[in-house]
Amino acid sequence: MLRVENLQASYGAILALKGISIEVNEGELVALIGVNGAGKTTLLSTIAGILRPISGKISFRGESLIGKSPEDIVRKGISLVPEGRDIFSSLTVEENLRMGAFVRRDRLEYQRDLEKIFALFPILKQRLNQLGGTLSGGEQQQLAIARALMSHPSLLMLDEPSLGLAPALVDQIFELITTLHQQGTTILLVEQNVDRTLEIADRVYLLQTGKVKFSGTAAEVRHQGEVEKVYLGGIE
Amino acid sequence: MLSVEFLLNAITLGSLCALLALGLVIVYGILKLVNFAYGELIMITGYTLYLLNSAAPLPWLVMALIGVLVAMFTSYSTELVAFRPVRTKSLTAMLITSFAVSTLLQNAALLLISPRARAVPLPKLFSASVTILGIAIPWRNILTILTSLILLVGLTLLLKKTILGIALRAAADNFQMTRLMGVPANMVISAAFVLSGLMAGIVGLFWVGRTASVTPTIGGAPLLIAFVATVIGGMNSLVGAVVGGYIYGVIFSFLGVMLPQSLLDYREAFMFLVVILILLFRPEGLIRGAGTGERVG
Amino acid sequence: MKTQNAILLWLKSHTTPFLLSIPLLLLAVLVQAFGGTLLIRIVTVLFINLVMVLGLQVFMGNSGILNFAHIGFMGIGAYTSVLFSMTPQAKAATLPDLYPFLRPIHLPFLPSLLIGALAAALVAALVGYALMRLSDAAAVITLFALLVIIHTILVHWSIVTNGPRTLFGVDNYTTLGISAFFGILIIFIAYLFKETPVGLKLRASRDDRYAAASIGINVVQVRWAGFVLSAFLAGFGGGLWAHFITSFSPYAFYLTETFSILSMLVIGGTGSVSGAVVGTVVVTFLREALRAIENSANIAGLFQNNLVGFTEVFLSILLILILIYRPSGILGSREIRLTSEDLRSVTASSQTDRPVPSSTKEGKHV
Repeated sequence: MLRVENLQASYGAILALKGISIEVNEGELVALIGVNGAGKTTLLSTIAGILRPISGKISFRGESLIGKSPEDIVRKGISLVPEGRDIFSSLTVEENLRMGAFVRRDRLEYQRDLEKIFALFPILKQRLNQLGGTLSGGEQQQLAIARALMSHPSLLMLDEPSLGLAPALVDQIFELITTLHQQGTTILLVEQNVDRTLEIADRVYLLQTGKVKFSGTAAEVRHQGEVEKVYLGGIE
Repeated sequence: MLSVEFLLNAITLGSLCALLALGLVIVYGILKLVNFAYGELIMITGYTLYLLNSAAPLPWLVMALIGVLVAMFTSYSTELVAFRPVRTKSLTAMLITSFAVSTLLQNAALLLISPRARAVPLPKLFSASVTILGIAIPWRNILTILTSLILLVGLTLLLKKTILGIALRAAADNFQMTRLMGVPANMVISAAFVLSGLMAGIVGLFWVGRTASVTPTIGGAPLLIAFVATVIGGMNSLVGAVVGGYIYGVIFSFLGVMLPQSLLDYREAFMFLVVILILLFRPEGLIRGAGTGERVG
Repeated sequence: MKTQNAILLWLKSHTTPFLLSIPLLLLAVLVQAFGGTLLIRIVTVLFINLVMVLGLQVFMGNSGILNFAHIGFMGIGAYTSVLFSMTPQAKAATLPDLYPFLRPIHLPFLPSLLIGALAAALVAALVGYALMRLSDAAAVITLFALLVIIHTILVHWSIVTNGPRTLFGVDNYTTLGISAFFGILIIFIAYLFKETPVGLKLRASRDDRYAAASIGINVVQVRWAGFVLSAFLAGFGGGLWAHFITSFSPYAFYLTETFSILSMLVIGGTGSVSGAVVGTVVVTFLREALRAIENSANIAGLFQNNLVGFTEVFLSILLILILIYRPSGILGSREIRLTSEDLRSVTASSQTDRPVPSSTKEGKHV
């Protein structure tokens, strides 16, 4: 479904992606792991159209995404939940969700979607008229994911959804990701919480300094011991 | 001294200032652009009235409507032609561009029309007044206050209830995230400029009504007012702009009766001193807005 | 011998101010020798503009902050300097209510210019420190507010400015020679300022304010220093202009002049002294040409009404086009300089012609 080939991109003056190739198939949960600065966030930003790549190819369902604006890419069905959540803090929860549904204009469908969202995130129903900025960290994360789901993405990209959350909430977020995956959503997940990620992911790409160091199924990654090497400082 | 007339005048001026400030902040909130060409939109409305009237006098309301539409269209065009190409460059480039657009519009009026004042048509109601409880109240004041209220209510509904309005607020909050919702960047920015033109156009009708004439430099004073009012209220808040506008109206009128003539001349300097002090000591103004302060591109 | 070598080495890597001033000096000499009254006037104005534009570049170019207050300081310098240079009789005629202690003062031209420049610098020093904390839109609005305040005071302080009316009776001291001398001197000052520790720190703070602060640069302090120097030069330029034009009103020091000086700097290139110089020369001559067209059209009665605003319309469109297509100006942020290869070729074959400034090699030249 998503195919990234030999992608190079720089973040500021730093070449953050040095020729990365990844692939995500329909219905898969693919995880990107690696230490800070490996290029995971840059990769998601480039796919979402926030950063312009220097070279390489990105295609989604056979159509190139290179040079497309973020708004066009969302319309093609790719939704990004960025790191740090970035909900609209001066908008109410409901307004946040309406913004999420911006690309879908059907009013009836919106109501149905809202019910589905409340089933997944009961807390949001209670907070519906509260300003986004007044929510707790965990609630904001739920809102950010809910907002992205409102656009019916074919591919949901999550950037460190468990970052900065209390352990109980981390469990909740991972359960949620599993649920979404089981319901058939294709997910590209960036996570620091490697153990938990390996439990739920179908396939994993291990990134190191802008390159794919290793890729395979979660079991293969564990077996090869690549993760430990990268995370514990085993250099090449 | 605190008579009904005084209060009425203060609120009338405050209403105009509130609309002025709002028009400036709608654009500032999203682009972080302090639009120096904003005052010229008032000039454009004035000249549209003048030109329409000298070519083919229509009922005043029709001419007024056209005048406002032309201001909205001008605002939209300046965005399309001048601001959009420099948007992704530096903030300074955008500010200088707006200064250049302001100079361009003013001098185009000088060149194409005249440096001298031109008469604009006014409705008869503007010079009439109504006596309530023994006090003569000019219709112009009543109309100004009513129009502003209608406009403020309308704008609130637009911003709260429509998806475009919510997108505008979202863009002022976090522009990049708004694009990640699928909202086209150009669409929200254009919408902001069109609304800004609407505010300037409506203020323009009343502003040229004060002297019944229009000159190429008529936009200078309202621009300065909008600066002061937005800084008082808070540059990142639409509510702040309205509050700032009314406060400006009240302070300015108050200084008008309080200060002796020798100091009255310096009223403008005083207002701008307030601006500097607020930016130094309370840069968020009276009402803290949602904006991140980051510039968009 | 050693110091001599060091000086030579320094000069080799700092050819810019020489390359900029030699053609201007030639221009001044040739126009003085062969030019008519009109040309002499134009070139005198050119050098005064140069003082103003370079003064603006010193702060704006190095700090990256758009400075709307610059022309206000020009006004302070103009009015202060004429208060000291005018004869008591002239003052009595144009400023009858002048404070008694100012009436008898009558200083020569140069001290008056310096006092005017110092007055502008003093105002900048007093109000500037607090303002330098601000960045972006807040900085622009406060500096704009400062311009409005200075303007309001100039318009209403009738006792010393004659209010909104024209002040007349100023002696015409600013000749082509004098304006050329100071214009060229200030090329060196602006260039050297960039290379001083303060100038370097200021440029570092422009590129990344937080990074600069993190390596121990006091951003507010270096900005302040640049701001005060810039105001000093603006005040000096104001004095030169006042003694050239000899009668003026506060409206000369407001948005029209701001636009004029700002457009010269931005069209040439804010980031470099070379850009400021090139912008001043190009725009000054362009303005004069456009004015000439305006005037001849008006004299010939080509249009029903007098042609006014044509020059500004043209220049503002040019400025917008530059900002769209070449936002760093004609020259960008690089200085015109001789590379070491150019210098080698000069020393190797002394009979060759003067080398062309070779910023072409850096791929930045137009």
